[in-house]
Amino acid sequence: MKLLVVEDEPSLLQSILEYFIQEDFLCEGVAGYSDAIGRIDAFDYDCIILDINLPDGSGLQLLQYLRQYKKEEGVVIISARDSLDDKITGLNFGADDYLTKPFHLSELNARVKALIRRKYAQGASVLEAGNLRLDLASRSVSCSNQVVSLTKNEFDLLAYLLNNKNRVVSKQAIAEHIYGQQADNMPSFDFVYSQIKNLKRKLKEKGSDDLLHSVYGLGYKLSL
Amino acid sequence: MVWLPVVLLACSIVFYVLMRMQAHHMQEKQLLLKQENTWNAFLGKNGQIERNISGEYSIRQTDLAAINNENAVRDTAIYYAEKKKLLPFQLLSSRYQWNHQTYVLTTYVSSTEISHLIIKVFLTEICILLLLLIAIVFLNRKNSGRLWNPFFSTMQKIQEYDITRNPGFSLPAETGITEFNALNQSLTGLISNVNSAYHHQKQFVENASHEMQTPLAIIRSKLELLINQPNLTEKAAALLGDITEANDRLSQMNRTLLLLAKIENNQFPSVEAVNVSQLLLQLLHNFKDHYEAFPELNCDIAEGVMVHANLSLIEILLANLTRNAIVHNLPGGKINIKLTASGLIMENTGLPAEGNPEEMFERFRKGSHQSRTTGLGLALVKQIGNVYHYHISYQYSNGWHRVAVVFG
Repeated sequence: MKLLVVEDEPSLLQSILEYFIQEDFLCEGVAGYSDAIGRIDAFDYDCIILDINLPDGSGLQLLQYLRQYKKEEGVVIISARDSLDDKITGLNFGADDYLTKPFHLSELNARVKALIRRKYAQGASVLEAGNLRLDLASRSVSCSNQVVSLTKNEFDLLAYLLNNKNRVVSKQAIAEHIYGQQADNMPSFDFVYSQIKNLKRKLKEKGSDDLLHSVYGLGYKLSL
Repeated sequence: MVWLPVVLLACSIVFYVLMRMQAHHMQEKQLLLKQENTWNAFLGKNGQIERNISGEYSIRQTDLAAINNENAVRDTAIYYAEKKKLLPFQLLSSRYQWNHQTYVLTTYVSSTEISHLIIKVFLTEICILLLLLIAIVFLNRKNSGRLWNPFFSTMQKIQEYDITRNPGFSLPAETGITEFNALNQSLTGLISNVNSAYHHQKQFVENASHEMQTPLAIIRSKLELLINQPNLTEKAAALLGDITEANDRLSQMNRTLLLLAKIENNQFPSVEAVNVSQLLLQLLHNFKDHYEAFPELNCDIAEGVMVHANLSLIEILLANLTRNAIVHNLPGGKINIKLTASGLIMENTGLPAEGNPEEMFERFRKGSHQSRTTGLGLALVKQIGNVYHYHISYQYSNGWHRVAVVFG
């Protein structure tokens, strides 16, 4: 998968690139509007991660340029602006998703993967790890062909961890992924712990033991 | 104005006294004139005139060298038989020498007419003064009303002025009165300075919050890369955990400040009919999911309570109130929620809040030392309440916190 990251903040750009390279993406990063146009003209990408505020132009202009030349790249906007209007404008200009800064890299990863699945796999949306199978389309989970019944939150949590397989995902990232902005001002992430506990128990009952690991209380990791 | 009747009264008294003195003086002159005329007549007729005319004069021959009260005006009274009463008179006695004889001539002047005159003049004067008093009061009222009119209209405008709502505030520069023109000019200047300071302050908060998003994003991304490093030690993990938590709180605070600034800048203009009952039930359902130890809930939620407002803002308001009730509760505590068409009452058990209840809605005011709260929740509630003119109050009694929201 080829990914282009357009972000003017070098430090953030570098973080994003590092994260996605570890996810086996082919990544390229540029810091400005004109560089980005050059890359887009020269190569085809599967997905573009795009900052709106660029030093020599706007991310929105770039979006217009893409749609004008009928480029099929999926676009995820990352922006410091978080008002509904900004989001609607971004999506109207042809972006596929919109993420507000500061975001979790694991969330960005999940969104990019979801976008790529939507755009290119045409419904073949199954995440697998060992004998665990999660079907996003039918929202069903099975372990060695045994159906595991999960609540909505548990399903979302498992899908999120599967998207970020073999990586430590912080409690905060999980909380925000499941509850969105409502996770703000929550005095504890106990509920993340209890959801994980329930999920572990259910998976163990169906024979998928030892998939979820807690990492020093920082977060959780799904690995074989 | 209070002194005016007093001054008028004092003037009346002085006027009365002066008039009495003048009258007395006049009577004395009359008596002297009468003396002169009578004595001249007496001499002219060689003493062959009537010696005594009641109420006019009397001439007596006397041997005494001196008489009592000579040349002094005295009061007396003369009986009039036909009127059957005593009438007041003034008299003056003087000694005269004629043909080696001493005569005492006493002349009389009636006091009745003059005292009647004094009373009539005095009453007339009282009437004139009263009319004058009324006229002064009336004219003063009317004049000052017109004179102060610009002042009162300025006052009213200032009272209605609200820095958060009408930045384009101005007072009329031309009122017709120089002093008030100057006053209005100064006030307009002052208010425009205050407005611009307020505007800059708002802008500053918003810009600062905005600018902080990017460094926060960098820290967050680096932290995520760090926790994914292999051979992470437990010690390092504990440090990272603390940093992640602090950074998260910073992000939340920043986001809330940005939200506050946006509400202040009226960036949530879209308004729709919001079903509060439904929204509240949905929120409570979600919150029960979040919290393992959800306090005992006692709900009295009327169905179909609608308000006209921005959906996200109402959601934020309800969520913050509910969250507050959960967070600032006791272990094994309770929450009472009562929603009616006119308002919402949210009560929860808890320890008394530190500080003044009035200041509960200010930013960064924390009732308890909950390090994970941002101290902005109630400020947000207040701000949203201000937008829609909801009356929000807080009180604490008998171990219960109680927040009441009265819908506009």
